[in-house]
Amino acid sequence: MRDPGLIAAPSVDPATVRVTFEYLAWATVWLLVGTTAGLIASIKLHWPEFLPYAWLSFGRVRPAHTNLVLLGWSSLALVGLALYVVSRTSRVPLWSPRLARVALWLWNLALAGGLVTLLAGVNRGPQEYREWVWPLAVILSAAVLIDGYVAYRTVAARTLPEVYVSNWYILGGFCYLPILYVTSYLPFYQGGIGNTVVQGYYMHNAMGMWFTQLALGVSYYAIPRLLGRPIYSYALGILGFWTNLLFYPLIGAHHFIFSPVAWWLQTTAILFSVGMMVPVWAGTGNLLLTFRGASGAVRRSYALPFFIVGLIGYGLSSTQGTIEAFRTANIYLHFTNFTVGHSHAAMYGFIVFIAWGAVYGLVPRLTGREPSPLAVGVHFWLALVGILTYVIAISAAGILQGMAWVAGQAFIASVIAAEPMWLWRTIGGLLMAGSHVVFAVNVWAMRPRRVDVPAPVPEAVGIPA
Amino acid sequence: MSFGGLHTDHRAIVAVAAIVFFVLTLVMAVLPGLREQAVSAPVGITPRSAEAERGRQVYLREGCGFCHTQFVRALPMDRPYGRPSRPGDYVGEHPPMLGTQRTGPDLADVGSRQPSEAWHLIHLYDPRAVVPQSVMPAYRWYFVEKNQAGPGDVVAPVPAAHAPPGKVIVAGPEASALVHYLLSLKQAKVSP
Repeated sequence: MRDPGLIAAPSVDPATVRVTFEYLAWATVWLLVGTTAGLIASIKLHWPEFLPYAWLSFGRVRPAHTNLVLLGWSSLALVGLALYVVSRTSRVPLWSPRLARVALWLWNLALAGGLVTLLAGVNRGPQEYREWVWPLAVILSAAVLIDGYVAYRTVAARTLPEVYVSNWYILGGFCYLPILYVTSYLPFYQGGIGNTVVQGYYMHNAMGMWFTQLALGVSYYAIPRLLGRPIYSYALGILGFWTNLLFYPLIGAHHFIFSPVAWWLQTTAILFSVGMMVPVWAGTGNLLLTFRGASGAVRRSYALPFFIVGLIGYGLSSTQGTIEAFRTANIYLHFTNFTVGHSHAAMYGFIVFIAWGAVYGLVPRLTGREPSPLAVGVHFWLALVGILTYVIAISAAGILQGMAWVAGQAFIASVIAAEPMWLWRTIGGLLMAGSHVVFAVNVWAMRPRRVDVPAPVPEAVGIPA
Repeated sequence: MSFGGLHTDHRAIVAVAAIVFFVLTLVMAVLPGLREQAVSAPVGITPRSAEAERGRQVYLREGCGFCHTQFVRALPMDRPYGRPSRPGDYVGEHPPMLGTQRTGPDLADVGSRQPSEAWHLIHLYDPRAVVPQSVMPAYRWYFVEKNQAGPGDVVAPVPAAHAPPGKVIVAGPEASALVHYLLSLKQAKVSP
């Protein structure tokens, strides 16, 4: 069965197609490696003597996992999709596919270097998602700046007067990440607790000012395109963009509630964690309302169900994050595995499902090849059941840990209480890993044809909205 | 509908977004960072020995901070770990390791709570030799298994059931340094 929105032949510039697909293919490679690292880390918590080698010890595999799935898989997939979206919504070929390819290899170089150095124990200490030594961070920054420049020049060359709402989010993301990343590495204000302030700012904004930006930017193009109808409200999309920019950067310190970080900073973070509900529900509501009365299209499409899960994941995981920021909730949940459940609900339940929906929704349009719908279904259900198992198990582990601590039991009681849940977490993780293998097969099935078709005439299809 | 003319001007969108985010970065990260790093250390704090500093490097390398916090909150459940942490406790720490997960117990004051060098050596060689239900990695690669201890060797008195038969477990330089670091983790006394 063909996706309802699928057009017969690719009408996109072949160079744009090829470079987009290369980003997605490499993203998939890093997904598989990053998943393996995550599984190893997960198994070690209920089987500590599993693979007892220095290079694969928990403290080294964990950052390898987080960095690969965040900077390798999620970022590369979203950048590839974003480059395609800026080109389509601007109705011009990508400004410089060659430069985009240079950036891709810089990403790959940084990621390979990051993997090897982290496993070798060469790092900047347990500073989440900025464990890489600085030369790798420089390479990564260069890659992001080049991608951002390519996206910017493509939008600048657009043949329409308006900058479509997708491109607000995408160009925004490309502005924010370099500022964020460089700020997190410069040392001048990071002595003592100054470092902790920056840590909260960095790890929180990486989510809201990078992944969320690109995922929403891609969604604002792909969902209307697949449904063949305009988004529910263009204005809500813009409102979400500005409120996200104003509220999100103020929230970082909620990762360090009850810490020696200045109390006003913690309180500001909690207040704006509530304020975040505005862009979150503006985005979730706006995109979900676009589906009104289109249940038939959702049933016929293999891409749209991923978007539905992703959007619900966005709303729910963000609301969960707001609740976790309250001091009362924080007492019971902070330091527990509940946080790990939250970060997976957000990164996987929201960002990754959106990325998959966009891959399945858009790539067949550009390569003219579809994966087997059965395989996409297997991917969807394995991933969904896997992440639900994972999040429920690890959240339960977190609640059990918190209860043991509040009850004043010896520390080891919290380990004993959580251990069965850690086993369930691995079971969920195995299902997720299985879905990733199926996804890799599907990506391969969607690869561009070898023979280059002659440059097609640009298709006169209006952008949605 | 018009959005202040921005919707047709990609330069303006990028400029406004970048400037706003940059300003918020200054307000929420850089300036508070500068303020916090200006805090001075409590009086009477003893500087860490060179050996303990080497141990801290091992602690960083192995990612111990992903499971062990060094951050005591003013909450009843944190009382076993020491007094509430203060900004001064982290002066000179690059990076400070407050942490976000407690898969293992807090170590802010572990040197006071568990001052036995032998216990730490056994625990690093095989955590399950001292805490049977522990899920901590065994850092065996920092130990040498010898037939007989030589002069000057630091021996980890590992129970026979947890060591290879007939072998003596000798701490390598990293294991010794790491134990020095752990023993050096003592909260400075402060007046309330």
